[in-house]
Amino acid sequence: MISLRAKPIIEGECCGELFLVDRKISFYGEVDPVAGEVCGVEGSFKGKVLAIRGIRGSTVSSYIVYSLRKHGVAPNCIVVEDAEPILIVGCIIAEIPLVKVEGFNELVKAFSLGFRRARLISEGGVLILE
Amino acid sequence: MHLTRVEERMLNGEFGEALSVATKILVKVGEALGASKLIEVSHVHISGVSYSNIGEPGLEYLEKLALTKPRFSVYTTVNPSCVDLSLSSRIISLENWEKQAIINGILESMGSRASYTCMPYLLRRPFMFEHLAWGESSAVAMANSFYGALTNREGGPLTIAAAIAGRTYMAGLHLMSERSAKHVVKAPPLNNEAEASLLGLYIGEEYSEITQITGALGWSYSMVKEFLAASAASGSHALVPLDGVTPRGTYAVEEGVERSGIDKRELEYYYDKVSKALELGEETLVYVGCPHLSLSELRQLSTMLDGRRLKRGVHFLVTVPGTYRALGGLDLFLKKAGVEIAVGTCPIVSRITVKPDVVLTNSGKALFYLSKLHKFNVSLASLVDIVKLVSEK
Repeated sequence: MISLRAKPIIEGECCGELFLVDRKISFYGEVDPVAGEVCGVEGSFKGKVLAIRGIRGSTVSSYIVYSLRKHGVAPNCIVVEDAEPILIVGCIIAEIPLVKVEGFNELVKAFSLGFRRARLISEGGVLILE
Repeated sequence: MHLTRVEERMLNGEFGEALSVATKILVKVGEALGASKLIEVSHVHISGVSYSNIGEPGLEYLEKLALTKPRFSVYTTVNPSCVDLSLSSRIISLENWEKQAIINGILESMGSRASYTCMPYLLRRPFMFEHLAWGESSAVAMANSFYGALTNREGGPLTIAAAIAGRTYMAGLHLMSERSAKHVVKAPPLNNEAEASLLGLYIGEEYSEITQITGALGWSYSMVKEFLAASAASGSHALVPLDGVTPRGTYAVEEGVERSGIDKRELEYYYDKVSKALELGEETLVYVGCPHLSLSELRQLSTMLDGRRLKRGVHFLVTVPGTYRALGGLDLFLKKAGVEIAVGTCPIVSRITVKPDVVLTNSGKALFYLSKLHKFNVSLASLVDIVKLVSEK
Protein backbone atom coordinates (compact mmCIF):
# COMPACT_ATOMS: atom_id res chain seq x y z
CA MET A 1 0.00 0.00 0.00
CA ILE A 2 1.26 3.45 -0.91
CA SER A 3 -0.25 6.71 0.25
CA LEU A 4 0.10 10.09 -1.43
CA ARG A 5 -0.87 13.48 -0.07
CA ALA A 6 -4.01 14.57 -1.87
CA LYS A 7 -6.28 17.60 -1.90
CA PRO A 8 -9.89 17.19 -3.02
CA ILE A 9 -10.69 20.06 -5.41
CA ILE A 10 -14.22 18.93 -6.19
CA GLU A 11 -15.51 16.84 -3.28
CA GLY A 12 -16.92 13.39 -3.83
CA GLU A 13 -16.16 9.74 -3.62
CA CYS A 14 -12.97 8.72 -5.37
CA CYS A 15 -12.32 5.02 -5.43
CA GLY A 16 -11.68 2.45 -8.12
CA GLU A 17 -9.36 1.01 -10.69
CA LEU A 18 -6.61 3.41 -11.71
CA PHE A 19 -6.48 4.47 -15.38
CA LEU A 20 -3.18 6.27 -15.86
CA VAL A 21 -2.24 8.54 -18.76
CA ASP A 22 1.14 9.95 -17.84
CA ARG A 23 0.94 13.30 -19.61
CA LYS A 24 -1.17 16.41 -20.04
CA ILE A 25 -4.07 15.82 -22.38
CA SER A 26 -6.48 18.04 -24.26
CA PHE A 27 -9.99 16.70 -23.65
CA TYR A 28 -10.94 18.44 -26.88
CA GLY A 29 -9.20 16.53 -29.66
CA GLU A 30 -7.54 13.84 -27.59
CA VAL A 31 -10.54 12.32 -25.83
CA ASP A 32 -13.42 10.47 -27.48
CA PRO A 33 -16.44 11.68 -25.47
CA VAL A 34 -18.71 8.85 -26.67
CA ALA A 35 -16.36 5.95 -26.02
CA GLY A 36 -14.65 7.47 -22.99
CA GLU A 37 -11.21 6.84 -24.41
CA VAL A 38 -7.99 8.80 -24.66
CA CYS A 39 -6.41 8.92 -28.14
CA GLY A 40 -3.65 6.36 -28.44
CA VAL A 41 -4.45 4.68 -25.11
CA GLU A 42 -6.14 1.30 -24.98
CA GLY A 43 -9.40 0.84 -23.09
CA SER A 44 -12.06 3.12 -21.62
CA PHE A 45 -11.79 5.13 -18.39
CA LYS A 46 -15.52 4.79 -17.75
CA GLY A 47 -16.13 4.25 -14.02
CA LYS A 48 -12.41 4.28 -13.24
CA VAL A 49 -10.09 6.71 -11.53
CA LEU A 50 -8.56 8.68 -14.38
CA ALA A 51 -5.10 9.93 -13.46
CA ILE A 52 -3.52 12.55 -15.72
CA ARG A 53 -0.78 15.14 -15.29
CA GLY A 54 -3.24 17.87 -16.19
CA ILE A 55 -4.86 19.31 -19.27
CA ARG A 56 -3.62 21.39 -22.16
CA GLY A 57 -5.01 23.12 -25.20
CA SER A 58 -8.54 24.20 -25.95
CA THR A 59 -10.94 25.96 -23.62
CA VAL A 60 -13.75 23.81 -25.07
CA SER A 61 -12.52 20.98 -22.87
CA SER A 62 -14.95 21.87 -20.03
CA TYR A 63 -17.88 20.86 -22.25
CA ILE A 64 -16.12 17.67 -23.31
CA VAL A 65 -15.78 16.70 -19.63
CA TYR A 66 -19.49 17.47 -19.21
CA SER A 67 -20.38 15.36 -22.26
CA LEU A 68 -18.61 12.34 -20.73
CA ARG A 69 -21.30 12.43 -18.03
CA LYS A 70 -24.09 12.90 -20.61
CA HIS A 71 -22.82 9.93 -22.64
CA GLY A 72 -22.54 7.81 -19.51
CA VAL A 73 -18.79 7.22 -19.82
CA ALA A 74 -17.53 9.59 -17.13
CA PRO A 75 -14.66 8.44 -14.97
CA ASN A 76 -15.48 7.82 -11.34
CA CYS A 77 -13.04 10.54 -10.38
CA ILE A 78 -10.12 12.45 -11.91
CA VAL A 79 -6.71 12.66 -10.25
CA VAL A 80 -4.29 15.33 -11.44
CA GLU A 81 -0.91 16.79 -10.69
CA ASP A 82 -2.01 20.24 -11.85
CA ALA A 83 -5.63 21.43 -11.45
CA GLU A 84 -6.44 24.01 -14.07
CA PRO A 85 -9.62 26.17 -14.19
CA ILE A 86 -10.89 24.63 -17.45
CA LEU A 87 -10.85 21.16 -15.95
CA ILE A 88 -12.25 22.33 -12.60
CA VAL A 89 -15.30 23.92 -14.26
CA GLY A 90 -15.83 20.82 -16.39
CA CYS A 91 -15.78 18.68 -13.26
CA ILE A 92 -18.18 21.01 -11.41
CA ILE A 93 -20.88 20.88 -14.08
CA ALA A 94 -20.30 17.19 -14.81
CA GLU A 95 -20.24 16.37 -11.07
CA ILE A 96 -16.98 14.44 -11.29
CA PRO A 97 -14.81 14.52 -8.15
CA LEU A 98 -11.39 16.05 -8.81
CA VAL A 99 -8.34 15.37 -6.68
CA LYS A 100 -4.93 16.98 -6.81
CA VAL A 101 -2.04 14.83 -5.64
CA GLU A 102 1.43 15.72 -4.55
CA GLY A 103 4.09 13.48 -6.02
CA PHE A 104 2.53 12.38 -9.26
CA ASN A 105 5.82 10.65 -10.11
CA GLU A 106 5.28 8.34 -7.12
CA LEU A 107 1.86 7.49 -8.48
CA VAL A 108 3.35 6.64 -11.87
CA LYS A 109 6.02 4.50 -10.25
CA ALA A 110 3.47 2.73 -8.04
CA PHE A 111 1.29 2.07 -11.07
CA SER A 112 4.17 0.42 -12.91
CA LEU A 113 4.84 -1.71 -9.84
CA GLY A 114 1.31 -3.02 -9.98
CA PHE A 115 -0.62 -0.77 -7.58
CA ARG A 116 -3.72 -0.47 -9.71
CA ARG A 117 -6.46 0.64 -7.31
CA ALA A 118 -6.91 4.11 -5.85
CA ARG A 119 -8.97 5.24 -2.87
CA LEU A 120 -9.29 8.76 -1.50
CA ILE A 121 -9.58 9.39 2.21
CA SER A 122 -10.85 12.98 2.15
CA GLU A 123 -10.56 13.75 5.84
CA GLY A 124 -6.95 12.68 5.99
CA GLY A 125 -6.11 14.21 2.62
CA VAL A 126 -4.48 11.07 1.31
CA LEU A 127 -4.88 8.95 -1.79
CA ILE A 128 -4.21 5.29 -1.09
CA LEU A 129 -2.85 3.09 -3.87
CA GLU A 130 -3.24 -0.67 -3.51
CA MET B 1 -13.03 33.34 0.23
CA HIS B 2 -14.06 36.86 1.15
CA LEU B 3 -17.29 37.97 -0.52
CA THR B 4 -18.80 41.45 -0.44
CA ARG B 5 -22.32 41.90 0.95
CA VAL B 6 -23.70 42.10 -2.57
CA GLU B 7 -21.84 38.96 -3.63
CA GLU B 8 -23.20 37.12 -0.58
CA ARG B 9 -26.71 38.06 -1.69
CA MET B 10 -25.96 37.03 -5.27
CA LEU B 11 -24.79 33.67 -3.98
CA ASN B 12 -27.85 33.21 -1.76
CA GLY B 13 -30.19 33.66 -4.66
CA GLU B 14 -31.65 37.03 -3.66
CA PHE B 15 -31.20 38.22 -7.25
CA GLY B 16 -32.51 35.08 -8.87
CA GLU B 17 -31.33 31.59 -9.62
CA ALA B 18 -29.14 32.45 -12.62
CA LEU B 19 -26.94 34.83 -10.66
CA SER B 20 -26.80 32.41 -7.77
CA VAL B 21 -25.62 29.48 -9.95
CA ALA B 22 -23.08 31.68 -11.74
CA THR B 23 -21.65 32.99 -8.47
CA LYS B 24 -21.49 29.46 -7.07
CA ILE B 25 -19.38 28.30 -10.02
CA LEU B 26 -16.99 31.25 -9.66
CA VAL B 27 -16.65 30.74 -5.90
CA LYS B 28 -16.04 26.99 -6.27
CA VAL B 29 -13.34 27.42 -8.89
CA GLY B 30 -11.87 30.34 -6.97
CA GLU B 31 -11.70 28.36 -3.75
CA ALA B 32 -10.06 25.45 -5.54
CA LEU B 33 -7.39 27.81 -6.84
CA GLY B 34 -6.89 29.64 -3.57
CA ALA B 35 -8.55 32.92 -4.59
CA SER B 36 -9.03 35.48 -1.82
CA LYS B 37 -12.00 37.22 -3.45
CA LEU B 38 -13.97 37.88 -6.63
CA ILE B 39 -13.09 40.81 -8.88
CA GLU B 40 -15.14 42.76 -11.37
CA VAL B 41 -14.27 42.29 -15.05
CA SER B 42 -14.92 44.68 -17.90
CA HIS B 43 -15.10 42.28 -20.83
CA VAL B 44 -16.00 38.61 -21.02
CA HIS B 45 -15.26 36.51 -24.06
CA ILE B 46 -17.23 33.28 -24.27
CA SER B 47 -15.62 30.21 -25.79
CA GLY B 48 -17.14 26.82 -26.48
CA VAL B 49 -20.09 27.95 -28.57
CA SER B 50 -19.76 25.77 -31.65
CA TYR B 51 -22.29 22.97 -31.91
CA SER B 52 -19.74 20.75 -33.70
CA ASN B 53 -17.51 21.08 -30.64
CA ILE B 54 -19.86 21.02 -27.69
CA GLY B 55 -22.50 18.81 -29.30
CA GLU B 56 -25.83 17.81 -27.82
CA PRO B 57 -24.53 17.82 -24.20
CA GLY B 58 -23.31 21.41 -24.56
CA LEU B 59 -26.57 22.51 -26.14
CA GLU B 60 -28.54 20.85 -23.33
CA TYR B 61 -26.41 22.64 -20.76
CA LEU B 62 -27.11 26.01 -22.40
CA GLU B 63 -30.82 25.30 -22.79
CA LYS B 64 -31.08 24.35 -19.13
CA LEU B 65 -29.23 27.52 -18.19
CA ALA B 66 -31.48 29.64 -20.43
CA LEU B 67 -34.54 28.49 -18.46
CA THR B 68 -33.27 30.59 -15.53
CA LYS B 69 -33.34 33.65 -17.82
CA PRO B 70 -29.85 35.01 -17.16
CA ARG B 71 -28.65 38.39 -18.43
CA PHE B 72 -25.03 39.24 -19.01
CA SER B 73 -24.03 42.16 -16.83
CA VAL B 74 -20.86 43.22 -18.71
CA TYR B 75 -19.69 43.67 -22.30
CA THR B 76 -19.61 40.16 -23.73
CA THR B 77 -18.34 38.75 -27.01
CA VAL B 78 -18.46 35.18 -28.34
CA ASN B 79 -16.16 32.83 -30.21
CA PRO B 80 -16.75 31.59 -33.79
CA SER B 81 -19.66 29.19 -34.28
CA CYS B 82 -19.85 26.27 -36.68
CA VAL B 83 -21.71 27.92 -39.56
CA ASP B 84 -20.72 30.52 -42.11
CA LEU B 85 -22.94 33.49 -41.27
CA SER B 86 -22.85 34.65 -44.90
CA LEU B 87 -24.29 31.22 -45.81
CA SER B 88 -22.18 31.25 -48.95
CA SER B 89 -19.29 28.91 -48.17
CA ARG B 90 -19.36 25.53 -49.85
CA ILE B 91 -16.42 24.33 -47.76
CA ILE B 92 -17.89 24.89 -44.29
CA SER B 93 -20.71 22.39 -43.81
CA LEU B 94 -24.20 23.66 -43.05
CA GLU B 95 -25.29 20.38 -41.46
CA ASN B 96 -25.61 21.74 -37.91
CA TRP B 97 -27.12 25.05 -38.94
CA GLU B 98 -30.35 24.70 -36.95
CA LYS B 99 -28.67 23.58 -33.74
CA GLN B 100 -26.13 26.38 -34.02
CA ALA B 101 -28.90 28.91 -34.51
CA ILE B 102 -30.38 27.81 -31.17
CA ILE B 103 -27.05 28.28 -29.39
CA ASN B 104 -26.46 31.70 -30.97
CA GLY B 105 -30.01 32.70 -30.08
CA ILE B 106 -29.53 31.70 -26.45
CA LEU B 107 -26.28 33.63 -26.10
CA GLU B 108 -27.60 36.73 -27.86
CA SER B 109 -30.77 36.66 -25.75
CA MET B 110 -28.54 36.77 -22.65
CA GLY B 111 -26.89 39.86 -24.09
CA SER B 112 -23.78 38.82 -25.98
CA ARG B 113 -22.64 40.69 -29.09
CA ALA B 114 -22.97 38.78 -32.34
CA SER B 115 -19.18 38.89 -32.69
CA TYR B 116 -18.42 35.25 -33.54
CA THR B 117 -14.70 35.74 -33.61
CA CYS B 118 -11.59 34.49 -31.85
CA MET B 119 -10.24 38.09 -31.93
CA PRO B 120 -12.33 39.93 -29.31
CA TYR B 121 -9.39 42.32 -28.91
CA LEU B 122 -10.19 43.79 -32.33
CA LEU B 123 -13.69 44.72 -31.19
CA ARG B 124 -12.65 46.17 -27.87
CA ARG B 125 -8.98 46.76 -27.24
CA PRO B 126 -7.98 45.62 -23.74
CA PHE B 127 -6.24 48.07 -21.43
CA MET B 128 -3.08 47.34 -19.47
CA PHE B 129 -3.78 45.76 -16.07
CA GLU B 130 -7.47 45.40 -16.89
CA HIS B 131 -9.18 42.32 -15.44
CA LEU B 132 -10.89 40.19 -18.10
CA ALA B 133 -12.49 36.76 -18.12
CA TRP B 134 -11.78 35.29 -21.51
CA GLY B 135 -12.08 31.88 -23.01
CA GLU B 136 -10.45 31.07 -26.37
CA SER B 137 -6.83 30.23 -25.76
CA SER B 138 -5.35 32.34 -28.58
CA ALA B 139 -7.24 35.46 -27.48
CA VAL B 140 -6.19 34.95 -23.88
CA ALA B 141 -2.56 34.73 -24.95
CA MET B 142 -2.93 37.99 -26.93
CA ALA B 143 -4.70 39.78 -24.04
CA ASN B 144 -1.94 38.92 -21.58
CA SER B 145 1.12 38.96 -23.81
CA PHE B 146 0.39 41.73 -26.31
CA TYR B 147 -2.03 44.07 -24.55
CA GLY B 148 -0.83 43.56 -20.98
CA ALA B 149 -4.32 42.82 -19.67
CA LEU B 150 -4.96 40.20 -17.00
CA THR B 151 -6.94 37.05 -17.69
CA ASN B 152 -6.77 33.34 -17.05
CA ARG B 153 -7.63 30.80 -19.72
CA GLU B 154 -11.22 30.10 -18.81
CA GLY B 155 -13.38 27.20 -19.88
CA GLY B 156 -16.64 27.83 -21.75
CA PRO B 157 -19.09 27.43 -18.83
CA LEU B 158 -16.98 29.61 -16.56
CA THR B 159 -16.98 32.46 -19.08
CA ILE B 160 -20.77 32.34 -19.11
CA ALA B 161 -20.85 32.45 -15.32
CA ALA B 162 -18.44 35.40 -15.37
CA ALA B 163 -20.59 37.26 -17.91
CA ILE B 164 -23.68 36.80 -15.74
CA ALA B 165 -21.94 37.79 -12.51
CA GLY B 166 -19.71 40.43 -14.12
CA ARG B 167 -16.90 39.00 -12.03
CA THR B 168 -14.26 36.35 -11.89
CA TYR B 169 -12.12 34.85 -9.15
CA MET B 170 -8.92 36.61 -8.08
CA ALA B 171 -6.28 33.98 -8.76
CA GLY B 172 -3.73 32.91 -11.33
CA LEU B 173 -2.79 35.53 -13.90
CA HIS B 174 -4.88 38.23 -12.17
CA LEU B 175 -2.10 38.33 -9.57
CA MET B 176 1.26 39.92 -10.40
CA SER B 177 2.98 37.23 -8.35
CA GLU B 178 1.76 34.63 -10.87
CA ARG B 179 3.07 36.54 -13.87
CA SER B 180 6.78 35.90 -13.68
CA ALA B 181 8.75 34.05 -16.29
CA LYS B 182 10.61 30.92 -15.21
CA HIS B 183 12.57 30.60 -18.46
CA VAL B 184 14.02 33.01 -20.98
CA VAL B 185 14.43 31.75 -24.52
CA LYS B 186 16.16 33.62 -27.30
CA ALA B 187 14.34 33.18 -30.61
CA PRO B 188 16.32 32.89 -33.82
CA PRO B 189 15.64 35.52 -36.51
CA LEU B 190 12.29 34.64 -38.10
CA ASN B 191 11.10 35.69 -41.54
CA ASN B 192 7.38 35.23 -41.58
CA GLU B 193 4.23 34.21 -39.71
CA ALA B 194 4.66 30.50 -40.51
CA GLU B 195 8.07 30.45 -38.84
CA ALA B 196 6.62 32.31 -35.87
CA SER B 197 3.85 29.69 -35.74
CA LEU B 198 6.40 26.91 -35.74
CA LEU B 199 8.32 28.49 -32.89
CA GLY B 200 5.02 28.84 -31.01
CA LEU B 201 4.21 25.14 -31.39
CA TYR B 202 7.72 24.29 -30.24
CA ILE B 203 7.60 26.53 -27.15
CA GLY B 204 4.16 25.15 -26.30
CA GLU B 205 5.45 21.61 -26.40
CA GLU B 206 8.82 22.12 -24.75
CA TYR B 207 8.03 24.57 -21.94
CA SER B 208 5.19 24.25 -19.48
CA GLU B 209 5.95 27.28 -17.32
CA ILE B 210 5.86 30.96 -18.25
CA THR B 211 8.62 31.55 -20.79
CA GLN B 212 9.85 34.94 -21.90
CA ILE B 213 10.94 35.21 -25.52
CA THR B 214 13.70 37.59 -26.52
CA GLY B 215 14.37 38.54 -30.14
CA ALA B 216 10.71 39.21 -30.96
CA LEU B 217 11.08 42.97 -31.27
CA GLY B 218 10.84 43.09 -35.05
CA TRP B 219 7.91 40.70 -35.37
CA SER B 220 4.84 41.89 -37.28
CA TYR B 221 1.38 41.83 -35.68
CA SER B 222 0.55 38.69 -37.71
CA MET B 223 3.69 36.97 -36.46
CA VAL B 224 2.85 37.76 -32.83
CA LYS B 225 -0.71 36.55 -33.32
CA GLU B 226 0.33 33.29 -34.99
CA PHE B 227 3.11 32.65 -32.49
CA LEU B 228 0.83 33.10 -29.49
CA ALA B 229 -2.05 31.09 -30.98
CA ALA B 230 0.30 28.19 -31.68
CA SER B 231 1.89 28.21 -28.23
CA ALA B 232 -1.57 28.28 -26.65
CA ALA B 233 -2.67 25.28 -28.74
CA SER B 234 0.24 22.91 -28.30
CA GLY B 235 0.84 23.93 -24.69
CA SER B 236 -1.42 25.75 -22.30
CA HIS B 237 0.30 29.08 -22.52
CA ALA B 238 -1.86 31.99 -21.44
CA LEU B 239 1.06 34.40 -21.09
CA VAL B 240 4.24 34.32 -23.13
CA PRO B 241 5.99 37.63 -22.44
CA LEU B 242 7.73 38.96 -25.55
CA ASP B 243 10.67 41.15 -24.59
CA GLY B 244 10.10 44.64 -26.00
CA VAL B 245 6.54 43.86 -27.10
CA THR B 246 4.61 42.92 -23.95
CA PRO B 247 3.98 46.10 -21.89
CA ARG B 248 6.61 46.45 -19.17
CA GLY B 249 5.39 46.02 -15.66
CA THR B 250 2.66 43.57 -16.62
CA TYR B 251 5.05 40.68 -15.95
CA ALA B 252 8.36 39.98 -14.29
CA VAL B 253 11.32 37.77 -14.99
CA GLU B 254 12.50 35.81 -11.98
CA GLU B 255 16.06 36.38 -10.93
CA GLY B 256 18.54 33.73 -11.93
CA VAL B 257 16.19 32.02 -14.39
CA GLU B 258 17.46 29.51 -16.85
CA ARG B 259 18.34 31.16 -20.17
CA SER B 260 18.65 29.30 -23.41
CA GLY B 261 18.43 29.78 -27.13
CA ILE B 262 16.81 27.98 -30.01
CA ASP B 263 18.73 27.83 -33.25
CA LYS B 264 17.28 27.63 -36.72
CA ARG B 265 18.42 24.04 -37.23
CA GLU B 266 16.45 22.89 -34.21
CA LEU B 267 13.34 24.52 -35.68
CA GLU B 268 13.94 22.96 -39.11
CA TYR B 269 14.24 19.54 -37.52
CA TYR B 270 11.02 20.19 -35.58
CA TYR B 271 9.29 21.34 -38.78
CA ASP B 272 9.92 17.95 -40.39
CA LYS B 273 8.40 16.30 -37.33
CA VAL B 274 5.12 18.25 -37.27
CA SER B 275 4.54 19.40 -40.85
CA LYS B 276 4.34 17.80 -44.27
CA ALA B 277 6.44 19.31 -47.04
CA LEU B 278 4.85 22.16 -49.00
CA GLU B 279 3.40 20.71 -52.20
CA LEU B 280 0.11 20.49 -54.05
CA GLY B 281 -2.06 17.40 -53.73
CA GLU B 282 -4.67 16.19 -56.19
CA GLU B 283 -7.16 18.06 -54.03
CA THR B 284 -5.65 20.83 -51.92
CA LEU B 285 -7.27 22.96 -49.26
CA VAL B 286 -5.62 26.24 -48.37
CA TYR B 287 -6.77 27.63 -45.05
CA VAL B 288 -5.94 31.14 -43.89
CA GLY B 289 -7.52 32.99 -40.99
CA CYS B 290 -6.63 31.11 -37.83
CA PRO B 291 -6.93 33.24 -35.75
CA HIS B 292 -9.37 35.21 -37.92
CA LEU B 293 -7.95 37.69 -40.41
CA SER B 294 -8.12 41.34 -39.50
CA LEU B 295 -9.16 43.86 -42.16
CA SER B 296 -5.56 44.84 -42.88
CA GLU B 297 -4.50 41.20 -43.24
CA LEU B 298 -7.45 40.66 -45.55
CA ARG B 299 -6.37 43.63 -47.63
CA GLN B 300 -2.82 42.24 -47.87
CA LEU B 301 -4.20 38.95 -49.09
CA SER B 302 -6.40 40.55 -51.70
CA THR B 303 -3.40 42.52 -53.00
CA MET B 304 -1.38 39.33 -53.22
CA LEU B 305 -4.11 37.59 -55.18
CA ASP B 306 -5.00 40.52 -57.44
CA GLY B 307 -5.02 39.32 -61.05
CA ARG B 308 -4.25 35.72 -60.11
CA ARG B 309 -6.39 32.60 -60.28
CA LEU B 310 -6.32 29.41 -58.28
CA LYS B 311 -4.88 26.32 -59.94
CA ARG B 312 -7.07 23.29 -60.59
CA GLY B 313 -7.90 21.18 -57.57
CA VAL B 314 -7.29 24.00 -55.09
CA HIS B 315 -9.86 25.18 -52.56
CA PHE B 316 -8.93 28.38 -50.78
CA LEU B 317 -10.74 29.18 -47.53
CA VAL B 318 -10.41 32.41 -45.57
CA THR B 319 -12.20 32.98 -42.27
CA VAL B 320 -13.04 36.38 -40.80
CA PRO B 321 -14.90 37.72 -37.73
CA GLY B 322 -18.69 37.60 -37.61
CA THR B 323 -18.75 41.39 -37.49
CA TYR B 324 -17.31 41.54 -41.02
CA ARG B 325 -20.53 40.46 -42.67
CA ALA B 326 -20.32 43.47 -44.95
CA LEU B 327 -16.80 43.69 -46.30
CA GLY B 328 -17.26 46.74 -48.49
CA GLY B 329 -16.04 45.12 -51.68
CA LEU B 330 -12.79 43.80 -50.23
CA ASP B 331 -14.08 40.32 -50.82
CA LEU B 332 -14.61 40.93 -54.55
CA PHE B 333 -10.93 40.58 -55.43
CA LEU B 334 -10.73 37.42 -53.43
CA LYS B 335 -13.91 35.93 -54.85
CA LYS B 336 -12.72 36.72 -58.37
CA ALA B 337 -9.59 34.71 -57.70
CA GLY B 338 -11.74 31.81 -56.46
CA VAL B 339 -11.25 32.34 -52.72
CA GLU B 340 -14.09 31.54 -50.33
CA ILE B 341 -14.66 33.79 -47.36
CA ALA B 342 -16.50 32.24 -44.43
CA VAL B 343 -17.78 34.63 -41.78
CA GLY B 344 -17.88 34.03 -38.03
CA THR B 345 -16.62 30.48 -38.20
CA CYS B 346 -13.53 28.37 -38.95
CA PRO B 347 -12.77 24.77 -39.93
CA ILE B 348 -11.51 23.95 -36.43
CA VAL B 349 -14.94 24.53 -34.89
CA SER B 350 -17.00 23.22 -37.82
CA ARG B 351 -17.23 20.31 -40.21
CA ILE B 352 -15.97 20.71 -43.73
CA THR B 353 -17.39 19.27 -46.91
CA VAL B 354 -14.22 18.76 -48.92
CA LYS B 355 -11.80 15.86 -48.54
CA PRO B 356 -8.42 17.26 -49.48
CA ASP B 357 -5.35 15.05 -49.48
CA VAL B 358 -3.27 18.08 -48.48
CA VAL B 359 -4.06 21.11 -46.32
CA LEU B 360 -1.81 24.16 -46.54
CA THR B 361 -1.93 26.79 -43.82
CA ASN B 362 0.16 29.58 -42.34
CA SER B 363 -1.20 28.85 -38.86
CA GLY B 364 0.45 26.56 -36.33
CA LYS B 365 -2.78 26.38 -34.37
CA ALA B 366 -4.69 25.25 -37.47
CA LEU B 367 -1.97 22.69 -38.17
CA PHE B 368 -2.25 21.38 -34.60
CA TYR B 369 -6.03 20.92 -34.63
CA LEU B 370 -6.61 20.00 -38.27
CA SER B 371 -4.08 17.20 -38.07
CA LYS B 372 -5.34 16.01 -34.68
CA LEU B 373 -9.11 16.46 -35.08
CA HIS B 374 -9.72 16.04 -38.77
CA LYS B 375 -6.66 13.81 -39.35
CA PHE B 376 -5.51 15.79 -42.38
CA ASN B 377 -2.03 15.93 -43.87
CA VAL B 378 -1.16 19.51 -43.07
CA SER B 379 1.74 21.59 -44.31
CA LEU B 380 2.79 24.83 -42.65
CA ALA B 381 4.05 27.62 -44.92
CA SER B 382 3.93 31.40 -45.19
CA LEU B 383 1.01 33.02 -46.96
CA VAL B 384 3.37 34.37 -49.63
CA ASP B 385 4.73 30.89 -50.39
CA ILE B 386 1.28 29.33 -50.36
CA VAL B 387 -0.19 31.93 -52.72
CA LYS B 388 2.76 31.46 -55.08
CA LEU B 389 2.26 27.70 -55.14
CA VAL B 390 -1.51 27.52 -55.51
CA SER B 391 -2.28 30.38 -57.91
CA GLU B 392 -1.19 31.57 -61.36
CA LYS B 393 -1.61 34.67 -63.51
